[in-house]
Amino acid sequence: MQLMAGENEKRPSWYLRGIVHAILATGAIFFLLPLVWMAATSLKPLSETMKYPESVSDVFFGKGDEADIDGTAYPVVRERDIRPTPETPFHVVRPKEPFSAGELWLTFGPEIWKKADVFSNQEKTRMNTEVGPAMKVLADDKNRFDPKTGILTLRSGRKVPADLVREVTSAPPRPPATEGGPPVPDTLWLVREWRPEDTDTKEVGSTGGEVTRAWDVVPDSQIRRRIRIIPQNYQYALARVNFSRCLLNTLFLCVMCVGGAVCSSVVVAYGFAFLDFRGRGFLFGLTVATMMIPFAVTMIPVFLLYRELGWTGTFKPLWVATWFGSAFFIFLLRQFFLGLPKDLLDAARIDGCTELEILWHVVVPLSRPAIAMVALFTFLGTWKDFMGPLIYLRHQSQFTLSLSLQAFHSEHGGTPWHLLMAASTVFSLPLIILFFAAMKTFIRGIAMTGIKG
Amino acid sequence: MRSALRGRLTSYAFISPWLIALCFFIGFPFLAGLYFSFCDFPPLKVPVFIGLENYAELLGDARFHMSLGVTMVFAAAGIPIGVLLAITLAMFLNARIRGQSFYRVIFYIPHLVPTVVVAILWLWIFNPEFGLLNIVLAQVMRVVDGWAGVFFDLEAASAGAWFVKREALILLAAPLTLALTVWPAVPKFLRPSARLRQFLMTCALVLLVLALVPLADAVLHRVAPRDMAKLHAPGWLTDKSPLPSDVPFAPSWALWALIVMGMWGVGQMAVIYLAKLQDVPVELYEAADIDGANWLQKAWQITVPMISPVILFNVVMAIIGTFQVFAEPYIMTGGGPEDRTYFVALFVYDQAFQYQRVGYGSAVAWALFIMIVVLTILAFRLSRRHVYYAGR
Repeated sequence: MQLMAGENEKRPSWYLRGIVHAILATGAIFFLLPLVWMAATSLKPLSETMKYPESVSDVFFGKGDEADIDGTAYPVVRERDIRPTPETPFHVVRPKEPFSAGELWLTFGPEIWKKADVFSNQEKTRMNTEVGPAMKVLADDKNRFDPKTGILTLRSGRKVPADLVREVTSAPPRPPATEGGPPVPDTLWLVREWRPEDTDTKEVGSTGGEVTRAWDVVPDSQIRRRIRIIPQNYQYALARVNFSRCLLNTLFLCVMCVGGAVCSSVVVAYGFAFLDFRGRGFLFGLTVATMMIPFAVTMIPVFLLYRELGWTGTFKPLWVATWFGSAFFIFLLRQFFLGLPKDLLDAARIDGCTELEILWHVVVPLSRPAIAMVALFTFLGTWKDFMGPLIYLRHQSQFTLSLSLQAFHSEHGGTPWHLLMAASTVFSLPLIILFFAAMKTFIRGIAMTGIKG
Repeated sequence: MRSALRGRLTSYAFISPWLIALCFFIGFPFLAGLYFSFCDFPPLKVPVFIGLENYAELLGDARFHMSLGVTMVFAAAGIPIGVLLAITLAMFLNARIRGQSFYRVIFYIPHLVPTVVVAILWLWIFNPEFGLLNIVLAQVMRVVDGWAGVFFDLEAASAGAWFVKREALILLAAPLTLALTVWPAVPKFLRPSARLRQFLMTCALVLLVLALVPLADAVLHRVAPRDMAKLHAPGWLTDKSPLPSDVPFAPSWALWALIVMGMWGVGQMAVIYLAKLQDVPVELYEAADIDGANWLQKAWQITVPMISPVILFNVVMAIIGTFQVFAEPYIMTGGGPEDRTYFVALFVYDQAFQYQRVGYGSAVAWALFIMIVVLTILAFRLSRRHVYYAGR
């Protein structure tokens, strides 16, 4: 095949190269797309994740409304459109004093908060009992505003001083779509200032009810849709999955497993490679054969064994066994050791080195790449492991990242995709960084696992 | 004599950790599992020997049959597709073009993503309404439908009527007729050189694919008119089989979804094949070139035999791997829709840790182990004539 030319052969012709490039690039795009989508979703606002995209940029970038209020562009959330008449004008009031969420939400009918997913159930029930369906915007017949004193009297009787008073009776006309046409009457929107908390489904409203937001009424033509990237998603997601604790747990397990796998496998592989004893061939064959045993077969008795030892609910079942070696790594290291020059070992032996000294001073320095590979793959395996922690860990404070992420997912039935994706991104990033940092070891390791098999 | 004894002792000291592991973490559980499989072992009580009862129950357990069937279908569909895809990808990644290391890295990256993240990410991708896959699929199918619409009347095709447009006949038949009439008239010295012929062949291949796409789309419209809308955007993890329900173990969309998801990690296998491909001696290809072999012959007669041991190794590992698929169905479907993704590892886990039936769970695990051994031996037997071990 011309495409697979070796070093000496000439390069394939330009159109074949072009086709290969096209195929590989298409494939690469499709392989990367899930990861890009993961990162993109993690930066979207909550409302934008659950929406069919209208354009290509919608797929990757969440958008949000932005409105000019007093000359400054604020990120806002549209609450609903309003239709004021000269008889019932609306006052847009910004209170100077904070007031509780219940008082604030008095101004809206249930049709709004039922749909809005930013409220907790507790808050919704409270609002449902206190608010009738006829109630309207902040300053109206229920929450009276006295323009002379600048005092807003809430329904609860509390008086709140207010500033930024504006009376809205009708919408300013929208500029005509075509030149010379009549101006189109504009729709008025009640908007609420958007805050990073809105990105979380739970945090809003559960902070004790002291939420004051700037409200305003803005004509539709002044609201613009802009790309809204929300790094705060990460903050909330990491808080939700209890990141720092879980990271420590995971790292602890990784360190213990890597240490165990490297130490034990190197020693045992040395024994199999260079030391002569009765039953070596048989034992090595047995070792290779155990690789064929699926995890599911030994899972139950091993679990019972650890339960007898009283280790379930602790980290021990997850790392202690690695200190006794693993068949795959013993096999790999032995194959690697056999490729080392035997003369060196003999020379060391003649010089009076003990086997341990030979291992430490001769074999280990020579086989650093293989040992690095063992460490790397153990790290990868431990970091990714899901079933082990699922079976053995009980308490939330012990959870590894895998388990915590899964718990977060199952707890919420998969709604807050933006937070899930943010946590997922953070969870997989260390491995990808590690890969780029240790690419050489990786490539060599993969080649080794494949060829010697 | 004493030094020999000491040497032997040192040797055993070196492998002693592994001996302990072999006894306590592998051998003992392995045999204990076998014993438990013949026992009734309720939680917090001692096991009671009941002979083959667990195995008898196994034979009649419809749920186990389903889960075994699901696993087998997953293996039968996923492994060949995966191997084929991996080898093809490896061949492309082995081509001598610029930027190859960049491509290799990209195809390998999905393997680095933790299993739980993969499951949750793909759960989101498979979301029927807002997921990436259905968004992309809808766009692709719109293009394909549009392309097919040039040649075929798709609405008529759905109704089952004669649906080929006149334009299609002209577009497809005209170049062919032209070529057939003109070709003999071209004088010999004007006929294209080998390189140009190759180029023309490539162009013809592209055209052929472009011609087949609308044909396939039209046939799909004709064969499954009602399901066509569904095919454009299935609910993936929630949908059952597109086939009639009386087909046993028919892969559901959910199972296909898991297979598609598995293909995302194919880069890892491809890199293994790639490492082996680079070891194939160039002389073999040079010799084949002298003999006038084309690329397909070279791929089939040289490349595949030379990497066949790795293929066998990967297939065996993949067979064992399918019996361990756990995290993905556990997180993504919980075995659902109607147990269509209830993999055996999930079954064992449920028996042991949900229903606390240690004895029955062990019996299932052992039955699986025996099946794996049989399948592996079968794989080695079947491959004996086809696998070429160079220099061994």
